[in-house]
Amino acid sequence: MENHLIHIDIEKLMHTANGPMKLTVKTEIGSGELVALFGPSGAGKTTLLRILSGLTDPDKGVVKFGDTVWYDSEKKINLPSQQRNIGFMFQDYALFPNMTVEENILFAQTVKDAKAASELISIFGLNELRKRKPSKLSGGQKQRVALARALARKPQLLLLDEPLSALDAEMRVMLQDEIRHAHELLGTTTIMVSHDLNEVFRLASHVVMIENGEIKKTGKPETVFSDNTISGKVQITGQIARIERQDPINIVTVISGSNQIIKVIAFDSDLENLKLGDQVMVYTKAFNPIISKLG
Amino acid sequence: MDSSFIQTLLLTFKLAFLTTSILLVIGLPIARWLAYSKFRFKPLIEALVSMPMVLPPSVIGYYMLVLYSPKEAFGSFLENVLNVRLAFSFEGILIASVVFSLPFMVQPLQNGLRSLPDSLREASYTLGKSTLTTFFRVQLPNIKPSIITAIALTFAHTIGEFGVVLMVGGNMPGETRVASIAIYDEVQSLNFATANQYAIILFIISLVLLTTIYSVNKKQEAWKII
Amino acid sequence: MNKLPAIISSIQQSGTILLVDAEVEGQGFSALLIESVSRLEWLEVGKSIDLVFKETEVSLARNLQGQISMRNRMKCNVLKVHKGELLSTITLKFKSFTLVSAITTRSINNLKLEIGDEVDALVKANEVSLMKTPQAGIK
Repeated sequence: MENHLIHIDIEKLMHTANGPMKLTVKTEIGSGELVALFGPSGAGKTTLLRILSGLTDPDKGVVKFGDTVWYDSEKKINLPSQQRNIGFMFQDYALFPNMTVEENILFAQTVKDAKAASELISIFGLNELRKRKPSKLSGGQKQRVALARALARKPQLLLLDEPLSALDAEMRVMLQDEIRHAHELLGTTTIMVSHDLNEVFRLASHVVMIENGEIKKTGKPETVFSDNTISGKVQITGQIARIERQDPINIVTVISGSNQIIKVIAFDSDLENLKLGDQVMVYTKAFNPIISKLG
Repeated sequence: MDSSFIQTLLLTFKLAFLTTSILLVIGLPIARWLAYSKFRFKPLIEALVSMPMVLPPSVIGYYMLVLYSPKEAFGSFLENVLNVRLAFSFEGILIASVVFSLPFMVQPLQNGLRSLPDSLREASYTLGKSTLTTFFRVQLPNIKPSIITAIALTFAHTIGEFGVVLMVGGNMPGETRVASIAIYDEVQSLNFATANQYAIILFIISLVLLTTIYSVNKKQEAWKII
Repeated sequence: MNKLPAIISSIQQSGTILLVDAEVEGQGFSALLIESVSRLEWLEVGKSIDLVFKETEVSLARNLQGQISMRNRMKCNVLKVHKGELLSTITLKFKSFTLVSAITTRSINNLKLEIGDEVDALVKANEVSLMKTPQAGIK
């Protein structure tokens, strides 16, 4: 496996629903990593992915893949998507409706190789579906075809735009495993847009946290999501799944990064800036939890 | 049915067939350009393409005649260099029909292309496919209803055209006399029976074509015109 | 949660256990902590921090006499009582700060708490967390 460090240093003025926002990203991504671009919607994650793929041009800056310059505003270099050797999986999967599963994958190959195509089809468990058109597939099946198609070109960089957002919870977990297997199998550097904490914890080896167009934190998921501004030793990050009011308190259900369901008592003042779906940290002191053997 | 009747009908279909074929070739690139271009003056170009839909046919006819006139640059070029005279000829009404039916070919194609999600095009690009490959292998196969609509509408519209053909071509049997003009002519001569034959044929053809359009578009609501 | 701004006055350590003393407007508080792998940079004598504890950890006592193990003892006045079916909240004034205690409605009824009453609010040292104030520094 060649070593391809991805060097990103770009700027782009974005026009969002909340007015203009400047996307400023300067980071490096190691070869073979599975990176999650994490952050609230509208933070610029998808735009960054599109800039990497060449579908959107930044205003200025440099994007380098190993020694290959993909974009350099000063040297007026802008390699088109076609020449970047990437695999891009779109949020809506973008399967070609006029082609069967097999044809979608064959179309994606640079050099026609029926054997490689049927290998991919088997890896993703699509044997039975090979002659089906995309309109006859379920969401999870489409996702698998889209992933297989993105890999058919043997890309050096795999870009996934919220790959699992359209699926239900059970399907997600299954397909998260699929993405991880594909990554382990092929060792392709993978960058995935996500705003789902579960997904990030289960898959990513590296997190780039983006907020309002800027990188807020980068590092391993455990580091990025742990909070060292508080002395509490038991820290669990998760997403608020439910808030039930039971006067005078509220019972908040949080689904943790490892899919555990946690219930926390919260007072009205705690909830002032919290709402359903928010990413939160639940912490307690090392003195409080009780430990006991399982089984 | 006499031979002049058959001749007129054949001429009508020949005109419609050639107009549609020529428009398909030039309409596709125009529609693609209009669907995706970010050119500043695109609205002006779109307006020009759509003009034949709102202008009286006589206006188009008038300008075509001016264009063909040997007194003008284009007409004199044709006459002196190529030795072609377009006014009152089949070629003349063919060119006029192409101009006049342009929006009926371009608009459905343009709308069809616009209704495709951008991600389809982009997915093809990220898979290393050129814009040309993407256009013919991904975009066009997925707007089949729009293509059928564009063809049927252009064909039907050319058959139904009266004013432009009359002005540019007149009423020369076997050369410029198409069915719509023949009807007018027969009525003027009080030959209601013949007029009726033409009318019924045009009515049925148009009905069949429009029914085709509506049935292929029943599934997708993407296509809307005017 | 309840939050009181404080300044660290001393830190005692035994193994990985830390006992941090801090002052809130002249009154002493204690917090019992387990040390992190590396000492948090803001955990130093003289630094401003927030003492943080949950409403449910605040006990209330009236006319408290005798000796008690709880180190964190706040003389408060009752500002507001909000009674729920089983659980109630009492808003208290401690020095210039507002605290909330959540106890059972039954206890409130036993204590016969009314607005303006003087009570002692008690928190065990091991229930107090320390939090870095947004602009931690020497006051």
